[in-house]
Amino acid sequence: MGLASASTATDGMQLCIFDLRRGQNEGQELDKILFFFPADLPFSTQLSVIGLSEGLITFTRIFSPEAACEIIEAERHSHVFYEAETDIWMVMVVEKGKDSDAIWRIDALRKVLKEVHSLFVMFYGSIRAMLEKDPSGGLIRSHLYPFIMDYLSDFPVGKKLQLPSFRDCLKERGTVQMLTMGREAAIEVQSLVSVLDSCAGNSSCYSMILFHDLLVSTTLSPDDTINLFTYAVLRLSPNALSSGVNSWSYIRRGSTSSHFVSGSALTHSGPVSEQIYHSSDTSPVGNNINRVTRALQHGKWYKGKDGFLVTDIWGVDVGSLVCATPTVWLQQTEEAMYLCPYQFKSLTLILLIPVSSILNGEQGVALVKQQLLENASLKILKVEEKLSKGWGGENAYHVSGYRYLLVDGDRNISRASPPGKVTTLAKESLLALSKLRDEVDLEKSRAKRDNAGCEKDLEVSIRAKNNAWAIARITGGKELYMVLEKASETLLYASDAVEKFSNRYCNGAFSLD
Amino acid sequence: MSGKASSSSQPSIGLSGSGALSHIYIQYPPLRCSIPESRGLHYDDGTKLLIPSTSNQIFSWKTVPFNPLATSTSDSIPEGPILSIRFSLDTKLIAIQRSSSEIQFWIRETSEAFSHRCRSDSENILGFFWTDCPLCDFVVVKNSGLDLFAYDSVAKSLDLVEMRKLNVCWYVYTHESRLVLLASGMQCRTFTGFQLSSAGIVRLPKFDMAMAKPEANSKPVLAAEDVYIVTVYGRIYCLQVDRVAMLLHSYRFYRDAVVQQGSLPIYSRKIAVSVVDNVLLVHQIDAKVVILYDIFADSRAPISAPLPLQSRGFPRSYSSSSRSSGKDGECSEVNNKIDHEGIIYGDNWTFIVPDLICDAIAASSSETPSVLEFLQRRKLEAIKAKQLCLGIARTVILERRPVSMVSKAIDVLVSSYSLSLKTGSYFKGIKTESTSSGVAKTSVARSSTDVSTSRIDGTSIRHESTAGVDSEYPSRASTFSASESEENASSAPLRTDSRDLQLGGGKVDRVNLTGAHSSGPTDNPVFVNISEQQDSELTSPAISPDEMYKFVFAAVEEEMVGDPSYLVSIIVEFLCSTNMEKIKVHPNLYVLAIQLLARNERYAELESFVTNKILEPSKEVALQLLESGRQNIQTRKLGLEMLRQLSLHHDYVSLLVQDGRYNEALRYARKYQVTTVRPALFLQAACSSNNSQHLAAVLRFFSDFIPDFRTTSDFTTYYGILNEMNTSVAATSF
Repeated sequence: MGLASASTATDGMQLCIFDLRRGQNEGQELDKILFFFPADLPFSTQLSVIGLSEGLITFTRIFSPEAACEIIEAERHSHVFYEAETDIWMVMVVEKGKDSDAIWRIDALRKVLKEVHSLFVMFYGSIRAMLEKDPSGGLIRSHLYPFIMDYLSDFPVGKKLQLPSFRDCLKERGTVQMLTMGREAAIEVQSLVSVLDSCAGNSSCYSMILFHDLLVSTTLSPDDTINLFTYAVLRLSPNALSSGVNSWSYIRRGSTSSHFVSGSALTHSGPVSEQIYHSSDTSPVGNNINRVTRALQHGKWYKGKDGFLVTDIWGVDVGSLVCATPTVWLQQTEEAMYLCPYQFKSLTLILLIPVSSILNGEQGVALVKQQLLENASLKILKVEEKLSKGWGGENAYHVSGYRYLLVDGDRNISRASPPGKVTTLAKESLLALSKLRDEVDLEKSRAKRDNAGCEKDLEVSIRAKNNAWAIARITGGKELYMVLEKASETLLYASDAVEKFSNRYCNGAFSLD
Repeated sequence: MSGKASSSSQPSIGLSGSGALSHIYIQYPPLRCSIPESRGLHYDDGTKLLIPSTSNQIFSWKTVPFNPLATSTSDSIPEGPILSIRFSLDTKLIAIQRSSSEIQFWIRETSEAFSHRCRSDSENILGFFWTDCPLCDFVVVKNSGLDLFAYDSVAKSLDLVEMRKLNVCWYVYTHESRLVLLASGMQCRTFTGFQLSSAGIVRLPKFDMAMAKPEANSKPVLAAEDVYIVTVYGRIYCLQVDRVAMLLHSYRFYRDAVVQQGSLPIYSRKIAVSVVDNVLLVHQIDAKVVILYDIFADSRAPISAPLPLQSRGFPRSYSSSSRSSGKDGECSEVNNKIDHEGIIYGDNWTFIVPDLICDAIAASSSETPSVLEFLQRRKLEAIKAKQLCLGIARTVILERRPVSMVSKAIDVLVSSYSLSLKTGSYFKGIKTESTSSGVAKTSVARSSTDVSTSRIDGTSIRHESTAGVDSEYPSRASTFSASESEENASSAPLRTDSRDLQLGGGKVDRVNLTGAHSSGPTDNPVFVNISEQQDSELTSPAISPDEMYKFVFAAVEEEMVGDPSYLVSIIVEFLCSTNMEKIKVHPNLYVLAIQLLARNERYAELESFVTNKILEPSKEVALQLLESGRQNIQTRKLGLEMLRQLSLHHDYVSLLVQDGRYNEALRYARKYQVTTVRPALFLQAACSSNNSQHLAAVLRFFSDFIPDFRTTSDFTTYYGILNEMNTSVAATSF
């Protein structure tokens, strides 16, 4: 059990995090490894992966000091690079073409790396800061390992990790999906928001409101919004809560999920991981290893009687048996905040209270919660009612005849055809679009490098083997990707269809012509 | 005897007030009437005349409109005792009670007199009054019942129309309510009521008033001084003092029922009750304070803390009018002269339903929304109420009161405005506002003794009272002002007689209950007709969104320091209210919201405000977005986007060019045929890109797009530049 079984199921996906500033002396190379998956690979193998990456980074930096290596495309593997923090690199190695689904869109993989890192930072602060706190690396390793394993446990399908592949080309990780609502509802929401933000008296709280898995409102900065939104959808939304309950029962997520989780930090076995992770036992913080909070642990959130979601992940106060309130770090203000999610039917409210504003810990938080219930209950009820009334269901944003992805890069917002509808597309169509997106990604990053600030307009329509049209349009920071399987006649027809779509659903943003 | 009858009231709503520790003020100077050898002072609430008398002369002062310098008219009458005096409603006749069995009538025009006597010696006249009931003109209340008479002006006599037999101990009547309550029984607590309205005579069901017993076997007797008829918001109530229980019971009259409404505590052995602008004032005489109640709201809580009555103006001398029986016991209303000016609630004060106006001082009340609600129902001085409301709204925002509270306050204002829109009163209000300086003055100057007579009979038509008053008091026509009509219209919808209807035809959405038979007491209040919205029709304190912006938000914004997000929340609450009532908001408010959000650098939220159309698109909004977008490119994009969506092609194209996106601008210009943007701008932009191909393309575009472009100077200039560019390119390449 444990990682041994898991690693065989990962199809050779490797994921490592290393620090270029560490282990520069002969014999101390292991020091630079902060995380490696699968953990039971021999050190020699781990070091060779990291060594290759490091070499390439060093080499490419000669030509491009700002943006070093992004990817290595080898015959059988792709190495995706992401510099999470200065000199702290994340590299993901995926095997190509072993089976038919192993066709990746590199940018999507990089977004996975980015996401897990951002989430980590939200809960624990930066990797660098933790390394500075404990130069031995034990602290960061003991945090990274369970965290990333918990994160990866969301990917498995059946017995293997299902990383974003070409089939996910109509999705955009690292964006937020918004609920569209009427003016009246929007005003109600805004009124609720002002109540939420003033819940803790003078200190300013932040809030985020979700309806189902869609964002309704946020007062956080865009980056913080993405992180918290991602976390909420993963663990807090009504969907996540109900699936979380089941995740231990192996029903929804398959048995592997539990393998990943149970195989993580707490029970890691084998000499290899022992050496890395237990080496920290000698460090001052080593004793904490079993008390590392697993922020992404599955099935640990549940709804309390008062409507607030609680979890014992952050520990339980022995005296009062009250669960400790989680805290998160805001990127923008670098402030620690208490995380208080509240749920009413499909509405999830997340209140962030500055830790510095609460003097008496849990008691103070309880007081603010009380305030929230007193001041906002009625409004919450009203907002939920309004939103439910206007809610078009899971397929609300389906546009028949179109399979689309709309990304507003400025606002980090995306909207796409519902997944159930995307699966009806032929594999060829998806492959074509995935390929097209790869090209567009490249073009975008090139344009960004060439002249920052100036936006590029782009329009590409290609015809796939199955006569479907794969279309990409970029204008004014907005991106539209589309697969039209039934518009096979002519390019004119396809372009007309895009025009119509643009006029009806994008306020004509893509019909400048 | 020198009588100085008082007069009181009024207000001045300014928050600055004199010492300001009072809600109720008596107007100074009072009306002084100094008559040598005056024997008695009477007040006739039907005609609102103050009547001092000597043994053979009657003086009368008009108290409405109140003028401290008013002069009296006098009538010489046959000498004799005067127990009580009432002028007929057209003031042509004077009825003088000479004894407990005789009333003398004096015809002023001809100086003739005739008398009316009781038929049997056992009958005693308790009182009498003139009425505008179509069946009769004159009513005599005797211990054996009511006699209703019609006046025959030809024969100069009274004809008995109807008799209502019953035992009467004493009675109370006010002209305002047209209601006479007859007390009977051992304890005088069983009442029979008649309303002698223009719609006819309505007999109310008999009812008993509650009286606590001090001890097992004693039965206290209810006195006439302890029963008050008050008219509030067109509803008629009776208030009864229970001296044992120390409670003031209230009863509301319906056509077929009398319903006890609850009780107010009293804190004084002696109290008096009056109504000013629909606010109930309970004078706790021993304690020398007034407590204000707004019995429209169901709460039994006072509007504000009890505070003493004060006089406005020169505070040391004035007097008050008094109600009731005094020494002679028989006459119903007498004004006692007050010798000691400056003493508030002097021993010899009694109250004559004085018309004081109250000055609700916002600061003394903690419940802002209810204060606003209260103020929005004011109509006596709508302008002042309105200014007060605006002031309160500003204050609560500046004081950063809790959003929920401010929100409630705003709700009150917005729904009141919406209501006034529906009834059309808002616009009328505007009209009268133009004459407002006059309004303030004249309406302020009302006498305390002006018992506004409101006959509430369900058939009020705007202006009719004006007509009625005019025909009754031709002399007043000249002094008649906008405010007068407001007042009368609101507080006294008299007359439904056809002759009075000339000016009718205001609003018709009133509750017309006359003649309608009610099924239950509660859903069909008989006496009520004028709903408040009608009352507010002529002057409305309602505040429009534009005014809210101008006098509240914009004003507050200038003074506000610190975090503007509070004001944003308030604006959102305001939008919430206006959206609920479907009222349009001025784009300037949106502009303000954008400025505030941008100042806070809450650009992400600003975006959601715009995309969710919380801030409705308009050119003003778009331009502000562009302006605020100088600091934030996303916001600028929103502004551009809005221009495009509003089809403001010219602005959109100009801005694109300004941003150097001239290619896009050209495409757009071609698509929407925008020809108003000068080609030179495009050419300039293309030229500064230093790209000869682009410049050539733009030149080409205009040559195709605009006929005759080749002949313009622009073409020549830039064609020259293009050639230069090309030759220099050619030169360098060779």
